Amino acid sequence: MIRISEAGLRSTVQDRGRFGHLRAGVPPAGAADPFALAAANALVGNTDDAAGIEIIGTPFRFSCDDSRVVAVAGRDVSLVTRSRLPPWSSVFVRAGQTVTVHSGERTRFAYLAVSGGIATVPLMGSRASYLPAGLGAALRAGDVLPLGDSDAGPEDAARRIEPTTYDEQVRAMAGPHDDRFEGDVNARFFGEAFLVQPASDRQGVRLGGVPIAPRAGELLSCGVLAGAVQVPRGGAPIVLLADHGTTGGYPVIATVIAADIGKVAQRMPGESLRFYRVERDEALDALRAERRALDGARVSA
Amino acid sequence: MKPRVVPFGEGALLVELGSEFQENVVGWARAIAGYWETIFTFGPAVPAYASVLLRFDPLRIAPTQAEKVAAELLRRGEFMLVAGNEPRRLIEIPTRYDGPDLAETAERSRLTVEQLVALHAKRDYTAYFLGFMPGFAYCGRLDPRIISSRLERPRERVPAGSVAIADGQTSVYPLASPGGWRLIGRTELSMFDPSSAEPVRVRAGDRVRFVPL
Repeated sequence: MIRISEAGLRSTVQDRGRFGHLRAGVPPAGAADPFALAAANALVGNTDDAAGIEIIGTPFRFSCDDSRVVAVAGRDVSLVTRSRLPPWSSVFVRAGQTVTVHSGERTRFAYLAVSGGIATVPLMGSRASYLPAGLGAALRAGDVLPLGDSDAGPEDAARRIEPTTYDEQVRAMAGPHDDRFEGDVNARFFGEAFLVQPASDRQGVRLGGVPIAPRAGELLSCGVLAGAVQVPRGGAPIVLLADHGTTGGYPVIATVIAADIGKVAQRMPGESLRFYRVERDEALDALRAERRALDGARVSA
Repeated sequence: MKPRVVPFGEGALLVELGSEFQENVVGWARAIAGYWETIFTFGPAVPAYASVLLRFDPLRIAPTQAEKVAAELLRRGEFMLVAGNEPRRLIEIPTRYDGPDLAETAERSRLTVEQLVALHAKRDYTAYFLGFMPGFAYCGRLDPRIISSRLERPRERVPAGSVAIADGQTSVYPLASPGGWRLIGRTELSMFDPSSAEPVRVRAGDRVRFVPL
């Protein structure tokens, strides 16, 4: 069991997402910064399917009933036991030992992984919380959650993964509807700085700045995914994140590559963001590099 | 528009079948989704009016391979219609026609409330696809005599169970949410229950009938 004594502002159990019911209109949910959760899981020796805790607003404080390896990943995050640990590294904690997750002023999401994984009962094939539909619940102080079996010991601690550089540069491929935008609008989209708006959440990051209006004309709703950059008629783009509706009716000018979705998710309101156009091969190379980093952490202990 | 397959990020393809709503194209989209998910098992698919989003893990399946399969599915055309679609069930939705937009919508359509209710309840609809929120089925077509333009000011909160119409279609809001459809009634029938073995009441392809209470 993991016992939560302080729960932050809005923390939820998340895994890599619920992809089995997209056709039923059920958003995938899952970690808003997928690589950070994957990194935290790898650091404690969990598989990619394991569930962790997505923390919004710290402090988040907990202890476990037996000894475990724990790790936290995300933007400007760290764990404190008796001392502050290096970011994106794993630590062995004894039964009952209190651990605190700290974050910085620019942290939107922190990801906590515990060896064995959070073992809440899966709903519709996943442990990902999607609060609008009553899938999971926001965690509260005093909550006690089950953990999966783990034989991780002190020798599994001190693994490290190089933290993501959470800068403003986001790589994106041309979107499926880029032909619905004039050539100069497409050119402006790739290169100009956008500002993250306060209304951003787990559904999407709303951007302001130069308007990127699509050509006139209706678009029939189509299936969408995290990373899609939708442009409503007003010209203010929205980058979809984990809680996005499964279909959308706005033209998609670009798609943020999977490896960079966390960078978008972690931008704070008022921070800037720029899109750089890449081809599919570069997107795949970035995914492979992530995979190597995760696999490397698993064997390096 | 000629049907085509375009990349949607590195791990998905968008199959575009047309640019306008056509009943047979909706069925075609569902059929392609069914093949992708159950025959090729490359990943989940999301059909809509005239398109299908096909997802896959690009580290497991090369995108060029996925494109080949998508192009092949496209080429098979309407042959897929019968084989790819699940059997159509009939879902009956007991409905109390007392929605806040009922009278205004009837007036706008130059119908009496009784006539509008009769037109809405008389026909069987097809659930084209689900989207917007868990369990929300876009069903059509509505009798063209019912004027069903969206509200100019969407409501901040539509109650769960609201029976609604918009743009020639009808649906039930499974959960409370903001929404711009016209509310003509309500049902007690649960449309989405995550703890149930079948969480979603209406599946894409089902026939849907509203039964006045």
